[in-house]
Amino acid sequence: MPHTIAGSWSDPVVEAYKRDVDRTLLRENLKLTPEQRLLKLQDFVRFLSEVRAAGKKAGLGR
Amino acid sequence: MTDVAGLILALARAEVDFIVVGGIAAVAHGSARATYDVDVVYARSPENIARLVKALAPLAPYLRGAPPGLPFRWDAETIAHGLNFTLTTTLGDIDLLGEIVGGGGYEQLLPHSVAMALLGAEHRCLDLDMLIHVKRAAGRPKDLEAIAELEALREER
Repeated sequence: MPHTIAGSWSDPVVEAYKRDVDRTLLRENLKLTPEQRLLKLQDFVRFLSEVRAAGKKAGLGR
Repeated sequence: MTDVAGLILALARAEVDFIVVGGIAAVAHGSARATYDVDVVYARSPENIARLVKALAPLAPYLRGAPPGLPFRWDAETIAHGLNFTLTTTLGDIDLLGEIVGGGGYEQLLPHSVAMALLGAEHRCLDLDMLIHVKRAAGRPKDLEAIAELEALREER
């Protein structure tokens, strides 16, 4: 049995994950331009960074 | 936090030949998964390596995860003698890849890339089919979920 993702053994795993993909998010993203998608990512990552900083300041995650 | 736009623009302004791959390419295609670094495949010609060195030199590139003080020279010779570099810069993390598994180098990937208008200019980005192919070829279990999302994305287009 080939131990590569391309091997047929892994397809059921991908298919299983695919059932849980939130397609509403994908459809929303597909309405945007590639540039808008990147800016959305950047905003999200900035938000996460602020949440992490706030958590650290509050003494969480020690 | 990685300044994705800043890193891509730094390369573009120096006229580096590169293709955006990995998570940022996936996001450009519509992926909803967060990613924290920029992965690019760069052309290995001496001229392009010189442009790459010039582009990133002001950003103090250093080997990501390496202990401080390790001798690392950011110059054309270093790049020419290596292939893939995982770097941290003043604008965040960037992976410079001479080749990727299942896809090869810049010249091999170019026919499988698309021009995308990003950040006020056109940049080459790996197309969705090849993105899925190289993720599969990499054979990493952690990519299985990302592959599922990319395949779903292909179905939704």
